[in-house]
Amino acid sequence: MRGYQNEDAIHRAPVRIDVEELGKSYGSFAALNNVSLTVRPGELLALLGPSGSGKTTLLRAIAGLTATEEGTIRFDGEDATTLSLRARRVGFVFQQYALFRHMTVFDNVAFGLRVRPRGERPRAGEIARRVRRLLELVQLPGLETRFPSQLSGGQRQRVALARALAIEPNVLLLDEPFGALDAKVRKELRRWLREIHTETGLTTIFVTHDQEEALELADRVVIMRDGEIEQIGTPVEIYEEPATPYVCEFLGGVARFEVTATEGEARVLGSQLPLAEADETYSGPALAYVRGHEIEIVSRDIAEGVPALVRNVRPFGPAITVELSIEGHRDRIEISVPRELFEGGEIRIGQGVFVRATSARVFPSPKADARP
Amino acid sequence: MTPDPLAIEIARIPAGNPPPPRARFRTPLSEVLWVRFGLIAIAVAFLALMLALPLAAVFAEAFRRGVEPFLAALVEPDALSAVRLTLFVAAISVPANLLFGLVASWAIAKFQFRGKSFLITLIDLPFSVSPVISGLVYILLFGSYGFIGPWLIANGYQIVFAVPGIVLATIFVTFPFVARQLIPLMEQQGTAEEEAALSLGAGGLRTFWSVTLPNVKWALLYGVLLCNARAMGEFGAVSVVSGHIRGKTNTMPLHVEILYNEYNFVAAFAVATLLALLALVTLVLKSALEWRYGGELAASGRH
Repeated sequence: MRGYQNEDAIHRAPVRIDVEELGKSYGSFAALNNVSLTVRPGELLALLGPSGSGKTTLLRAIAGLTATEEGTIRFDGEDATTLSLRARRVGFVFQQYALFRHMTVFDNVAFGLRVRPRGERPRAGEIARRVRRLLELVQLPGLETRFPSQLSGGQRQRVALARALAIEPNVLLLDEPFGALDAKVRKELRRWLREIHTETGLTTIFVTHDQEEALELADRVVIMRDGEIEQIGTPVEIYEEPATPYVCEFLGGVARFEVTATEGEARVLGSQLPLAEADETYSGPALAYVRGHEIEIVSRDIAEGVPALVRNVRPFGPAITVELSIEGHRDRIEISVPRELFEGGEIRIGQGVFVRATSARVFPSPKADARP
Repeated sequence: MTPDPLAIEIARIPAGNPPPPRARFRTPLSEVLWVRFGLIAIAVAFLALMLALPLAAVFAEAFRRGVEPFLAALVEPDALSAVRLTLFVAAISVPANLLFGLVASWAIAKFQFRGKSFLITLIDLPFSVSPVISGLVYILLFGSYGFIGPWLIANGYQIVFAVPGIVLATIFVTFPFVARQLIPLMEQQGTAEEEAALSLGAGGLRTFWSVTLPNVKWALLYGVLLCNARAMGEFGAVSVVSGHIRGKTNTMPLHVEILYNEYNFVAAFAVATLLALLALVTLVLKSALEWRYGGELAASGRH
């Protein structure tokens, strides 16, 4: 591990994190089950999953806030599993920020410097200089004397981040960093976190349950389910090639069809579509996931599609959104159609049309899978 | 200047029926005047009769014969001794319970362990047990026919009917005040700030002093205030273990009782005014704390 003395942590070489076969259970509930993961140096990684999927447990285990029963955590190859919180030197931003409520913004940010052992503690002037620099970094100069209760949610978030960065951490960990903020501030802070990450170059992991946030912000996304990793990949990989039905459903915006596969192919909404390569010989029940933009309305003359009924039309925005009931499918599906088609008078509420899938992700039904 | 014909026309139009007077709107949570005033009057009368009048009576009785007998009763050696003993007992039992209460609520609010709810029940025990029983328990333990009493007495330690017994009984009776005040607040505050301090490199002790303690300081003061008021005013438990030896094991409440039983009303009420003043000071401080730091006390149930 890097020396404690090193002053200018923010420009040190970023740290690689290896998580090896990590296990943690609360009673009979397995919060983490044999989780292995490598976080590349300087990467911005998202842990994505619903509540109870183990993402926060994993983050807290890496920080040293939660003890694990099995497995190893390495920082740059060195075993950190048994290291204390202090020795791991992790910048942690808590979900509700956990700012010290009786301290000013300045004292909050300075805390990590002031509690250092005497020999390593910077002088008061140096602490003040660094705190001011950090508050500039998080765009909060001039708020030094405020108390946390006098700040907005977004400002508290920034103070929490400045406080975590003050200890010149090896890695930066954020637990649901935007969870408690309203939608507009979230978007703004997202862009800003990306900038901070570029500026500090720190290996950064954040936890979120918002797939849009994860896909937009992260270099790579880890999707978790029931204490296990379901898929790891770049946002493009995750979006274009979801590995499992679970990932498809969690990302959302899909319609699910129960189909029958024959020799690695299935007929989905009027089209013959292949299963993933690993299942190219599979025959049997299968699940097909189709996104709204992968469904097209076909002309009645061709009529190779599936009949559907137009339920609603939202004729504003760059594309026209059409809500359809498709024959043999319970839920309504929203698709986008080109403006010309709408203006041509083809689409009216209550009108019957034919639709066809242009592509889909088809998986063998989970019943056939080993997983319960 | 000729009047505007249109205006004249309009003036001639007979005014129609005036609009019916609108029923006055009353907010649904309000009541009619006489109900409101009636309820207030009942409450005020009750308070006057049950609280204000007795308090006034204490002062009236104390000054019945004028200021001199009042002062004489206060500087009388036995009275002074009672005041000294009361202060002494409070000076031991309040810090002791401050420490116990802080440690207990810290353990209960910040950690998960077996037997936690049993511990909470134990802390509440002194509130649910009659103070007389609390005193008797110490007689049973430390009295000359008690469990460890004979051995202690043989070795020269007199607990019961002496100052140590009074201190023990007072500590027992006032045990819950600080803990009851702190547990709900600390539970509400959670452990996130402590985790933050630790992750920033602070040690355990540093975290306690600079994060945990400052977050509860006003609630702690509030609990100490109530604890002190009870410690100085406790009668039942202390009465059982004290032995009522004048000038030696008499606290102020016991001294008031003795004087009263001797028909020395002026002296009894004179000493009682000191206790009443203590109560008033406590109330003022308590209200000041609630007014100033209400938010930081909010999680705790008021007594």
